[in-house]
Amino acid sequence: VSDRTLRVAICVLAAAGAAIAAYLLYERWTGGPLVCSTGGCETVQQSKYSKIAGVPVVLLGLLAYVGIFVTGLLRTELARAVGAALAVSGLAFALYLVYVQNSKIHAWCQWCLASDAILAALAVLTVLRLLREPA
Amino acid sequence: MSKGARVRAQRVQAPQKRGGKVKTPSAPGQSGSRRNLYLGVIGAVVVLAAILVGASVLSNSGGSSKPPSSALAEVAATNRLLAGIPQNGTTLGDPKAPVTMQEFADIQCPGCDQYMRQAFPDIVKQYVRTGKVKVEWNGISFIGPDSETGLRYVDAAGEQNKLWNVAELLYRNQGPENSGWVTKDFLRSVGEAVPGLDADKVEANVQSSAVNRQMADAANQYTNYGFTQTPSFAIGPTGGTLVSFSPSAYNVGAFAPTFKKYLEQSKQ
Repeated sequence: VSDRTLRVAICVLAAAGAAIAAYLLYERWTGGPLVCSTGGCETVQQSKYSKIAGVPVVLLGLLAYVGIFVTGLLRTELARAVGAALAVSGLAFALYLVYVQNSKIHAWCQWCLASDAILAALAVLTVLRLLREPA
Repeated sequence: MSKGARVRAQRVQAPQKRGGKVKTPSAPGQSGSRRNLYLGVIGAVVVLAAILVGASVLSNSGGSSKPPSSALAEVAATNRLLAGIPQNGTTLGDPKAPVTMQEFADIQCPGCDQYMRQAFPDIVKQYVRTGKVKVEWNGISFIGPDSETGLRYVDAAGEQNKLWNVAELLYRNQGPENSGWVTKDFLRSVGEAVPGLDADKVEANVQSSAVNRQMADAANQYTNYGFTQTPSFAIGPTGGTLVSFSPSAYNVGAFAPTFKKYLEQSKQ
């Protein structure tokens, strides 16, 4: 897989993740209803775990996706390292939030799970990109 | 070049001629630099993940293990109902609305809950959102300790002009009278469910002098009207004398004729 292919895939996935996070953030701030087939989206989004020290977790997610997107645009070694660090640490935190949904909130948010899947794919792609020999 | 050296050089070049990939042996410095890069990434991942998880655990510790918000119902419906309608302290609606209705309610009273569920949404849609009527909250606490705890939270939210969102959410999630349902966690989840409301600030202001004054004013007015139960209402022209009003039922139709009377008076 070429570096270009990896970068395109990373940017597309990061954009999709950012779109999900932006949607959740918009509905959170406007109080609008969430499209939700699992029935637990609002429960999760309104739970106390949806914030860290007053900052919405979904805002942190949006910033992380934007950061990963930007690293996908750049070809430097530092960008590859930062992209991988953001994606893998984001995935680790996402796994913790899956545990929280299952064990603490007892509700599932389909948007969060979709975001988790995107983060998992991004973690694989960014690590692959990092492990490649520099061009 | 000696024969042996030529042979070694051809062996090295051979894969390149076949178009195969060649991994150039990394220089010791380069290899060390990449190892440092990987170590840096691993370190950053560990630190970032630890900070995020740690901060989440810490900021959510100390509360009940019960997920407070999971029990909250009709958050979106409440926020939708009130979205875009001006709120100022205890008042919901256009300040220039020609008709004013005062509502006297205890957050634990089942009748108030019935009114808030069956009549209030339609009153908001047909009269408040259209700028015809403004509604003023006057919280009363006489049923028990949960009444005062909840009322203080509602009134404190009024300082951020979100009183009606909190009151409506409390009614839509009302528990049995004096069962201890108005817990700190429950109120926290209500506060966090209201867009634009700083729940920390509300918690900090529940015992404020402004809230004390608001509760005392409402209690005085309640007594002056001669009310003995909740919900009670007073309706009249904005800026004029409001008259106590007892609806025959908790639906918008029971309020409509009185609203119509004062709306027509305002046009004269």
